[in-house]
Amino acid sequence: MFDFLTHNMLAVIWFFLWCVIWGVYFIVDSFSLGAGLLTPFIATDKVQKMQIQRAVGPFWGGNEVWLVLAAGGTFAAFPLVFSKMFTFLYLPMMLLLIGLIARGISVEYLHKDDNPQIQKAFMWGWFAGSLLVSLVLGVAFANFFKGLEIASGGVYNGTFIGLFSPYALIGGILFVLMSVTSGALWINVKTEGAIAAKAGSLAKKSTLIVLVLALVYLAYSFVGIEGFTTNYSATPALYLLPVLAVMATVLAVFFAKKEKGFQAFCSNLLAFLFAVQTGLASIYPYMLKSSVSPEYGIDIFEAASSHMTLSIMLGGALVFVPIVIIYQLWAYTLFKEKIKETEQVDY
Amino acid sequence: MVELLLLSRLQFAITVAFHFLFVPLTLGLALLVAGMETMYYKNKDETWRKMADFWGRVFKINFAVGLVTGLAMTFQFGTNWGAYAEFMGDVFGPPLAVEALLAFFLEGTFFGAWIFLDRNRQKLKAFSMWMVALGTNISSLWIIIANGFMQHPVGYKMAADGSKVVMTDFFALLTNSYVWYMLIHTLFSAYLLTAFLIMGICAYHFLKRNNNEVFRKSFRIAVTIALVTSVILPVLGHGYAQYVAELQPAKGAAMDAIWETGSRVPMYLIQVPDSSTGSNSVQLLEIPGLSSFLYTGSFSGTIKGLNQLPRDELPPVGMVFWSFRLMTILGSLFIIEALLGLYLQKSGKLYTSDKYLKLLIWSIPLPYIAITAGWIVAEAGRQPWLVYGLLKTANGISSVPTSDVLLSIVLISTFYLILMVFEIYLMKKTVVNAIGVE
Repeated sequence: MFDFLTHNMLAVIWFFLWCVIWGVYFIVDSFSLGAGLLTPFIATDKVQKMQIQRAVGPFWGGNEVWLVLAAGGTFAAFPLVFSKMFTFLYLPMMLLLIGLIARGISVEYLHKDDNPQIQKAFMWGWFAGSLLVSLVLGVAFANFFKGLEIASGGVYNGTFIGLFSPYALIGGILFVLMSVTSGALWINVKTEGAIAAKAGSLAKKSTLIVLVLALVYLAYSFVGIEGFTTNYSATPALYLLPVLAVMATVLAVFFAKKEKGFQAFCSNLLAFLFAVQTGLASIYPYMLKSSVSPEYGIDIFEAASSHMTLSIMLGGALVFVPIVIIYQLWAYTLFKEKIKETEQVDY
Repeated sequence: MVELLLLSRLQFAITVAFHFLFVPLTLGLALLVAGMETMYYKNKDETWRKMADFWGRVFKINFAVGLVTGLAMTFQFGTNWGAYAEFMGDVFGPPLAVEALLAFFLEGTFFGAWIFLDRNRQKLKAFSMWMVALGTNISSLWIIIANGFMQHPVGYKMAADGSKVVMTDFFALLTNSYVWYMLIHTLFSAYLLTAFLIMGICAYHFLKRNNNEVFRKSFRIAVTIALVTSVILPVLGHGYAQYVAELQPAKGAAMDAIWETGSRVPMYLIQVPDSSTGSNSVQLLEIPGLSSFLYTGSFSGTIKGLNQLPRDELPPVGMVFWSFRLMTILGSLFIIEALLGLYLQKSGKLYTSDKYLKLLIWSIPLPYIAITAGWIVAEAGRQPWLVYGLLKTANGISSVPTSDVLLSIVLISTFYLILMVFEIYLMKKTVVNAIGVE
């Protein structure tokens, strides 16, 4: 299969797909993470909590699978990167795992019991899980853009504390706030009544904060991060990515202010997508960039699986990813009605 | 290094065992609930609706945990088994990615749809549950394809520098004979576990003299499944064991603790193996030639004994032996219980046979124990190999600080313990109050 493509071409295609899969995961999970982050602060009673739960309940599980695909795809296409990424970032990955499990269980168990104390525990579990997931991913990806302390011979000298540089912290906070914005706008679009209004007015502020922070992060990346501009200088067309990211962020502010929830929601997702791609475009051909010296990084050609594995996986992805996208979109049409305050069903 | 290896193995054992506490039930219940949803759609009989509601709730509580704890293994292939991931990625990665693509998306997407669709869209609701059932069952195929390679490597070659395996034939991975033995055995034991859990819960309500039609009907379905699976499992298991004995002689010999090579090997009903002396310290009640017959199909067949195999390639014999015994003894018990249940139900004495009903309640954990024992035979029996004949377990771990692994074990175990408490609490409440039925 795909014999007309060389091994290196397949590796490049897979790097592109890898970026796309991560991008899709970030945007589709952002609104359920955001909803989890917001619930304890904006929902005043059980009715509103259930409105939020119903707004994300049907979707979060299918959306999270994009993360599993990202991990599985890394394992299959770039085993060396999979191994090193998880080994180097051992503790953050464990925290991410616990965050993901806490979030999933909490969403599912939120209203399985009518004891208010237990409901409260799961609501905070949902919050804590969502915070952990978005913060760890934000910090981790900022570190990928900045480069990990990989010395000669692939020896990793980084520490857990060392991961929290100012740049990574801004990345983490930006990630959390973009998720919060995404969640607020989704609640605004999917629900009716007081909670929708509250989420809408919150989004007006958060889109602005995201814009400011995103500009700071972008400037920091291009000015303060070594090697960030190399690919951009070589291929100026790439500047389209940060330009689109900023434009989408501005549009999100604009639409949120005009109270056009759906347009603001889409703009925020696009902003998120292009922001992540801006960073990923800077590290190519490395997947694990070294902050010590570029040649110590792990690049896609070194890490790629065999020609056969890459082509089988490519064939599988070309056939099945569209099918998945079709039925996931179909699932959104199943629940297209806005969730009213009057509907009281237990799940 | 030794501590690191032990801790890495311990952590994987904890996460996989915890995950597999929830998966078998969902494999069986997904199909049953899908059937109930369909029956309700077809004939609008309220009993089917209540059954779908009640067992659907039991399903939801377990499925949620199974879904999210599966991530733990994927993560640990990288965090704790990095050397393994690099060695095996070319062959092992694709089944995992395909599992996500073909199975997890179906499960995740349609699980959400099934929960939130209301009964006036019953057709879609039933369809969604079928998709969940399809997803869960397909998922077991792909994970066993991945595991099958570790047990019986096929369709690969070694890289020129010997540092890793490279796939040469994807189709060979799918047609790996080990996979199909293992898959059918695993699925049937999952269905058996489901049937016994349903019977146990129904028994609880019969004892409380709650002969609701929901429980009577559920029991009739479950007891049939229990009988069919419990009878088929030893037959399948026998073929599987014979096959494994040929494939992995050390595992085969360890299952019955056969130390010396010979023909007409007897089986002892009471036997205590002792690895330190390479013999059995107790062996009583001999059945001549039975082991030979079971392993080779002939009473005079020859079996290779453990003492003839390289010492450093022996699995933990006692562990494999006792797990195998436990599994087969429990398997026999399941047949008796299922037969008895069918007889009592047909003769109408079931609802007043308090002793039998109590036995059923106490039997709920037994299939869980049998399944875990079965996995111990399969995975501990493969030791010291991580990938049979290719990579030793000791060479598969990541070089991470031991303290990190210790910390993560403590974190994960505590966290799982809390989850377990909530899960049991919700299950108990659902079952005792018969939510959706009363």
